[in-house]
Amino acid sequence: MIKSIKSRIKKLTFADSGLVLVFLALLLLPVLVGYNDYILQVLTHALLLATLALSWNILGQSGSVSLGHAAFFGAGAYGSALLSLESGLSPWSSIFLAGLIAIGLGLVMGLACLRLRGAYFALASLAFVEIPRVITDNWDGLTRGSLGLAGIPGLPSLHLGSWYLKIGSSITASYYLVFVYALGLLGLVGFLFRSNFGLALQAVREEETAAGSVGVRVDVFRMLSLLLSAFFTGISGACYAHLVSYIGCGLVYGIHFSALPMVLAICGGRFTILGPALAALILYPLDQFIFHPLLPAGHEFLYGLVLILTVLFLPAGLWGTIRKNA
Amino acid sequence: MWTTVIVSGISLGSFYTLIALGFALIYGVTRNFNLAHGELLVLAGYVAYWLWKSWAWPFWLTFPAAMVVLLLTGLILQRIFSRLKEPLELNSIVFSFGAAILIQNGMLLCFTGDYRLIRVPALHQGLRFQNFYISYGQFTLLFLSLLVIGLLYLIMQRTYLGKALRATIQDKDAAAMAGINVAAMGTIAFSLGAVLIGLAGPLYGCIHYLYPSAGHEVTLLAITITIFAGVGRMRGVLLAGWILGLSESFAVIFLGASWREMVSAVMLLTLLVLKPRGILGNKP
Repeated sequence: MIKSIKSRIKKLTFADSGLVLVFLALLLLPVLVGYNDYILQVLTHALLLATLALSWNILGQSGSVSLGHAAFFGAGAYGSALLSLESGLSPWSSIFLAGLIAIGLGLVMGLACLRLRGAYFALASLAFVEIPRVITDNWDGLTRGSLGLAGIPGLPSLHLGSWYLKIGSSITASYYLVFVYALGLLGLVGFLFRSNFGLALQAVREEETAAGSVGVRVDVFRMLSLLLSAFFTGISGACYAHLVSYIGCGLVYGIHFSALPMVLAICGGRFTILGPALAALILYPLDQFIFHPLLPAGHEFLYGLVLILTVLFLPAGLWGTIRKNA
Repeated sequence: MWTTVIVSGISLGSFYTLIALGFALIYGVTRNFNLAHGELLVLAGYVAYWLWKSWAWPFWLTFPAAMVVLLLTGLILQRIFSRLKEPLELNSIVFSFGAAILIQNGMLLCFTGDYRLIRVPALHQGLRFQNFYISYGQFTLLFLSLLVIGLLYLIMQRTYLGKALRATIQDKDAAAMAGINVAAMGTIAFSLGAVLIGLAGPLYGCIHYLYPSAGHEVTLLAITITIFAGVGRMRGVLLAGWILGLSESFAVIFLGASWREMVSAVMLLTLLVLKPRGILGNKP
């Protein structure tokens, strides 16, 4: 037992030890930054973006590039916000139901678009976002249209006997909540990608006809990956709504939440497990701490630039390249 | 009232055709989807707005300026597009999506997020016949769009350059074998496309508010029209533009202005669902 751990430790590469450091830094972050609210808020958002990029990559693993994940993010955010505002559900259950709403939307998208391949799927997904967005925007009676939804209840406190955790009001607690969610999703994605499911998706991506001929049910696997991807994107959208307590149509269905998961996943490495999450943890803080103060308007050019550079010079993405050379 | 709706639909549709032609040409010749198309149009609009507002240029003089700026931008973009690797269509989408984010934020930095409109008073007056009304703006839009479409049609049908472009659209390899410089055709397609956007941009600034993220909708329009028409069919592009313009006008009348934005998205999705292999599905 100890021997096998020792031999494993010997095999650890430079990149692995970097990962351990990142993990420890994230775990101890609140203490390291002295409970600085601003830094914690930025990192909470970075972790949330990491969950988006990880969810996007579940679909990305099957070879599809989606430019429309804001549809699921927005549906999740609006779904959970409305459920907790109108029917008084606890945010925990409304977040879960929002994930199911996103699955429903994913089913519609899948039935309409999954017959398309490559570029055409990307174009269709780009157009698809408009449908939930315009419907949400126009359904004034339910969604208050362009006014947006304000006063979304925060996450309730967790009680364990006499000990309780105020997730709704403490920034540190919401940081850890999103941290645990991101870690759990990372574990799930790692498990999925290494399981037969992941192998099947990889086969579909590399050689669809061959995958089909050895018995992989191509359509089923593509649909499943889309639904899983939609579910977790919806959950992240719902968490976002409860964390910020105000959402508007233009924002949650906007280009920001369509573009970022794709940008982060591709820059980090589409076909890796960790890449998308790492890209979120690097790029978003870089954007917020360095470029935002320099260029209050237009600081998001960073994502465009990094995406272009990745496509041109680093097609395997950051983590994909490190892994290949390690 | 119906004639007014139809006239405004046709005039809008002709303008959409003008916008989409550049996209269709670039896609046809180089197989690159340029998702920054709408951002380029808005950029051209901003160039015109800036010259018109800050330097008090007469409106018509902003057209050549916007065309020159766009030509340069288009050529720079083309240099990068030509370096992309297979799968070309998908990589061009990802690359140009990045370019769109870059241009959007550049415009946000230079022109702020305020809504801007080029107000040319003359364009807001109009002619009234018995029961229908056309503003000079709509008339200019219709006239200029049809003129440019006609000119481009003549170039494509009657000149050697046009034939070479069409040959490249139909079959790249065969065109190369027949002695056509396919790489040069790509550059020409990008230049022509960029100049067309430069021409359309100032007009766009007259009929639509300019703001950095306005281009997204335009890109969607251009994609819809191109996919509707099929590759290399100019008459198809005009027909698709008119159908889209008319559908939008009727959607505004029947459903209200806020539903207009969904028309092109629904049209594109319907098309893609009916022709799942996309435009190339036409080929045997």
